[in-house]
Amino acid sequence: MAEVMESSGREAGGPPGWLAQALDAPILDVRPSLADGEDPLGLILDAAEGVEFGGFLVIDAPFNPSPLRRVLAARGFSSYGRRLTSAHWRVFFHMDGGQDWERDAEIEMLPEGALTWSEEDGLHVDVRKLTPPLPMLAILRLIDGHPELAALVVHHERLPQFLIPELAERGWRVVRSTEDFADVRLWLEKAG
Amino acid sequence: MFAGAFMMGAKDRLLPPSVPFRFFVTATLLHVVGWAVLAAGAGDLAGFTGGLGLPLAGLHVITLGVLAMAGMGAAFQMLPVATRRQLGPVWACHLTWVLFTPGVIILSLGLATGLVWALHGGATLTVAGLALFGVLIGRNLMQVSDLPGVTRHAWLAVASLAVLAGLGLLLVVDIDRGFLPDRAAFAAAHAMVAGYGFMGMLAMGFSYVLIPMFVLSQGVPDAVGKRTALLSAVALVLGVGGALAGLGPVSALGALVGLGTVFVYLKAQAAVLKGRMRKRLETFFRLVKAAWVVLPLSLLAAIALALGLAPDITAPLWGLLLVFGWLLSFVTGILQRIMPFLASMHSGANGGKPVLLSHLVWEPALTVHVLCHGGAILLLAVGLSLKSPPVLTAGAVLGLVGAVSFASFTWVMMRRYLAYENAKNKGTP
Repeated sequence: MAEVMESSGREAGGPPGWLAQALDAPILDVRPSLADGEDPLGLILDAAEGVEFGGFLVIDAPFNPSPLRRVLAARGFSSYGRRLTSAHWRVFFHMDGGQDWERDAEIEMLPEGALTWSEEDGLHVDVRKLTPPLPMLAILRLIDGHPELAALVVHHERLPQFLIPELAERGWRVVRSTEDFADVRLWLEKAG
Repeated sequence: MFAGAFMMGAKDRLLPPSVPFRFFVTATLLHVVGWAVLAAGAGDLAGFTGGLGLPLAGLHVITLGVLAMAGMGAAFQMLPVATRRQLGPVWACHLTWVLFTPGVIILSLGLATGLVWALHGGATLTVAGLALFGVLIGRNLMQVSDLPGVTRHAWLAVASLAVLAGLGLLLVVDIDRGFLPDRAAFAAAHAMVAGYGFMGMLAMGFSYVLIPMFVLSQGVPDAVGKRTALLSAVALVLGVGGALAGLGPVSALGALVGLGTVFVYLKAQAAVLKGRMRKRLETFFRLVKAAWVVLPLSLLAAIALALGLAPDITAPLWGLLLVFGWLLSFVTGILQRIMPFLASMHSGANGGKPVLLSHLVWEPALTVHVLCHGGAILLLAVGLSLKSPPVLTAGAVLGLVGAVSFASFTWVMMRRYLAYENAKNKGTP
């Protein structure tokens, strides 16, 4: 069985120490919901709300649910994912304050839970799976907080119409957008 | 990313600007008409507890023509974007307006004059428009499993809509048939379910989305939204049930639960304001804050009325605080902000350079509106307490001046928006 491990909070070179306890936790399998075209996010967040500090949550999904992991990281969960087959991921979440996530990150997490990182084409921010108006706040926080910033690439899950007036007031606009699976990408630029 | 979310698609469910703006502009115009009718009938406001005439007509121009009209426009525009689900065909939204607008005008004519054909015809058209609105909103909400803080209030609004429309029809038919055992009790229940139920729940639910968006702050936690929805439902059942059963103390208990609801709601909004990124709050927020102050006062007046304390004063005072102090302040405050915001958003929706909010807003007109609106509420409250027709007339006239100022703001904003769109279409923005 092919197994790819991806962890936010593992010990160097191996799985995190808390994994052994997490293996006993019940599994929430969201694959049937997704197969029916339903979004299980509410179900997962409800389950996550019931996890006390030190507790665990285990999700089975047909892919690596990266945005969900970031959302739960913002709520204090470290996570550790295993790809069991090409269409089956099991992700273990540990409610430990999410400190390992930050230690592990090559990225920076904004207060809203959005992630930022730099690529060749400039600064990127991923606001997917954040509850409105958090995506707008994260983007505006970056723009307002970095006067030197001239361009920003946003990873969203839809075209953020309500953001447009706020961008315009700041002299910014959307110059280009693309739409791929799970990634509506917007290129924002400050007017010259 | 979850497949369900992907299936929603990236295309927002943004209805064309003609949908919300026909409701908003109509609400703005009827806002002037409503205050004018009240000013004309101000002499009859003292001790008003119901009955046909100009006060009742003016009241319904405001409640239906301004509050419900604006609520419909906002719901049609905001709900599908917030829930990311289709709301319904655009023609159905337009049909709602086509039914509802003449319905409100004809019904108000009937309420002013007692003309039976106007009462029955107007009520039928009005209820038809409201019913279509309820169906469209209900269809949208049935597809949504998240956003419980917003959708539960919206469901309560839809349920209240059904009850208020039923009670309203009964009251209209009763005017010439006289079959209701206690007309005053039915009227009180109708007012409660309309003010706190339909409009109150729309205002509360949408404020969980709009206020954080306008002040740039984190949203209200779902748990809080669920709590206020549950408390609101209990308060409404007690309040309306008590009124219909003629049990004042039960209605008072409902208002008391309503006060608890308001406390939770305002505490959540205070947290939103505390964490906001936008430090300077615009003019519109003065009205929103005033509305939040008056909302609990209206419930205190409701308790006094339910317990039978000076009903000739507390009844009209309660109506003033509920309709004009809480709802009209809140709705016109939100309109001050949402109209230019949506105009700017639509102007940039197709990738062009959007018109700036600051270009659309004519600030002096908004300031005059806020000052006149606040002054009008104060004068009307004093006038009702003292039963003074001159003070009541002065209050209504001041309200009319404010409404004209607000209409002039809307006129200027629409003219600037349309000029920008025309220039953009010609390639010369």
